[in-house]
Amino acid sequence: MSSPPARHRIAGLLGVYAGLGAVTACALFPILWALSGSLKRQAEISQPMLLPAHPQWSNYVEVFARMPFWRMLFNTVLYAGCVTAGQVFFCSLAGYAFARLPFTGRDTLFVLYLATLMVPLTVTVIPQFILMRVFGWTDTMWAMIIPGLFGSAFGTYLMRQFFATLPIDLEEAAILDGCSPWAIYWRILLPHAKPAVMVLAVLTWINVWNDFLWPLLMIQRKGIATLTLGLVWMQGEYVAEWPVLMAASMLMLAPLVIIYAIAQRAFVSGIAATGFGGR
Amino acid sequence: MNPTRRRARAGRWFIAPNLAAVAVFMAFPLAFSLYMSFQRWDLFTPPTFVGATNYRDLFTGDPLFGIAVRNTTVFTLGTVVPTVLVSLAVAGLLNRKIKGIGLFRAIAFLPLAVSSVVIAVVWQFVFNTDSGLLNIMLSWFGIAPVPWLTEPHWAMASLCLVSVWKSVPFATVILLAAMQGVPDSLHEAARIDGAGEVRRFVSITVPMIRGAVWFVVVISVINAFQAFDLVYVLTGSSGGPETGTYVLAIMLFQQAFAFLDFGYASALAWVMFAVLLVLTVVQLRLSRRNAVDQ
Repeated sequence: MSSPPARHRIAGLLGVYAGLGAVTACALFPILWALSGSLKRQAEISQPMLLPAHPQWSNYVEVFARMPFWRMLFNTVLYAGCVTAGQVFFCSLAGYAFARLPFTGRDTLFVLYLATLMVPLTVTVIPQFILMRVFGWTDTMWAMIIPGLFGSAFGTYLMRQFFATLPIDLEEAAILDGCSPWAIYWRILLPHAKPAVMVLAVLTWINVWNDFLWPLLMIQRKGIATLTLGLVWMQGEYVAEWPVLMAASMLMLAPLVIIYAIAQRAFVSGIAATGFGGR
Repeated sequence: MNPTRRRARAGRWFIAPNLAAVAVFMAFPLAFSLYMSFQRWDLFTPPTFVGATNYRDLFTGDPLFGIAVRNTTVFTLGTVVPTVLVSLAVAGLLNRKIKGIGLFRAIAFLPLAVSSVVIAVVWQFVFNTDSGLLNIMLSWFGIAPVPWLTEPHWAMASLCLVSVWKSVPFATVILLAAMQGVPDSLHEAARIDGAGEVRRFVSITVPMIRGAVWFVVVISVINAFQAFDLVYVLTGSSGGPETGTYVLAIMLFQQAFAFLDFGYASALAWVMFAVLLVLTVVQLRLSRRNAVDQ
């Protein structure tokens, strides 16, 4: 009984593929059903066929007519881009300092940073809303960009842990040569931190892109709204107009699926390593 | 200036902008929220100090709080238990070196990238009573249409189903990473002893990754406990039908931003925070232990 007969092995392998097929079918079917719905006529939506006889691409045209899709796409890219760039820069800078530049009180400060990781959005969202009102930023782009621009405790923690694993010899020669801490960070350590930077960038981008509560609280004007907000407004306005609603959903999904296809590895390993993201 | 002092000075400057952001957008809100929870405040008139009234009202005078606690508990259990069981099985399936496994993984993890809002809108279409996929499929077996989102109990069940669909990929990523760390030699030894596939999974793989399983349980509870986006978009801003999906996060949103009772909402936030804090401490312990294991 050292190895089971080949017949059993093949049957087992077939079973595994059947299981994997079922898993991927479960993951995909709501999306495929929505895709199919986005190409149907309003009269056809209660019919179970996956491929409508005459795909109605006009449903997509209708989306552009009913909401400023490109404007909202631009806004979403702008917010996600600014916040991601800011997070990567300020978190890696602070993470470097926490890992390599000792000063009085640094380690106490880091413990406090760790403590703020435990504070959920549930507690901070109301005061943040009030802060935005006090600053006069409600219903402006500032509310979407500034709070995330200068970094977060989570990103700093992530970058600090990564920098702590880099060998000290990387910078030793540069320190002896009298390089400034900034030059060491910018020219030596940051280029070596590419894996961690990718993880932080992808998690941040997808978080901002998918965020709903904050734009819901902050934004009323269509001109500065995000895609998620646009979709929810559309859902409220065009109840039961499923083909157009599904077309809008698919248009919202497409950019993220492309990003996911490109950065899947960083995204998945980032979630595996941190337990953050993908909420 | 000597190099040590120069580096210390640079360190302070490098942390300064980040520290300012964390102080303004995290630390201050935390303190201010606690302060607000002892006030009555609608933002337009000056706040008045009311002591512990907000907390007392929550626990003694508000039937909706009881409903929200019950719904949140049901939702959390209905999300976390199936999520952990399903994702264990899925991770087991995905943890193989066979042809095409990369593609299977990529598709299985795809829902991770989809926002809760799109997920909810898409599933509304699936659940739709007259033309939804589920009721069409039920009709093939002669089963009458189910009011998935319009009857309170079904609405909660539907919400849990969508939540599981959304959470499984996340849990699977973490469990799969842990499974990949289980040494092959253990499986080899058990195989020689004649243990079958399922037996080996239950008695070797699962016990070996129990740290990761607990991590997934705690973090899923934390997420489900605060669920908002999915509930808001799938079944509406007031947690309907009736109070079928009225969870704590919906109550918080309603008290603060619909009724403008910011003090009361803050008290609710702190009650939720107390529960979350216990869970988070457990989670941090587990993740530290995980890190040591690896």
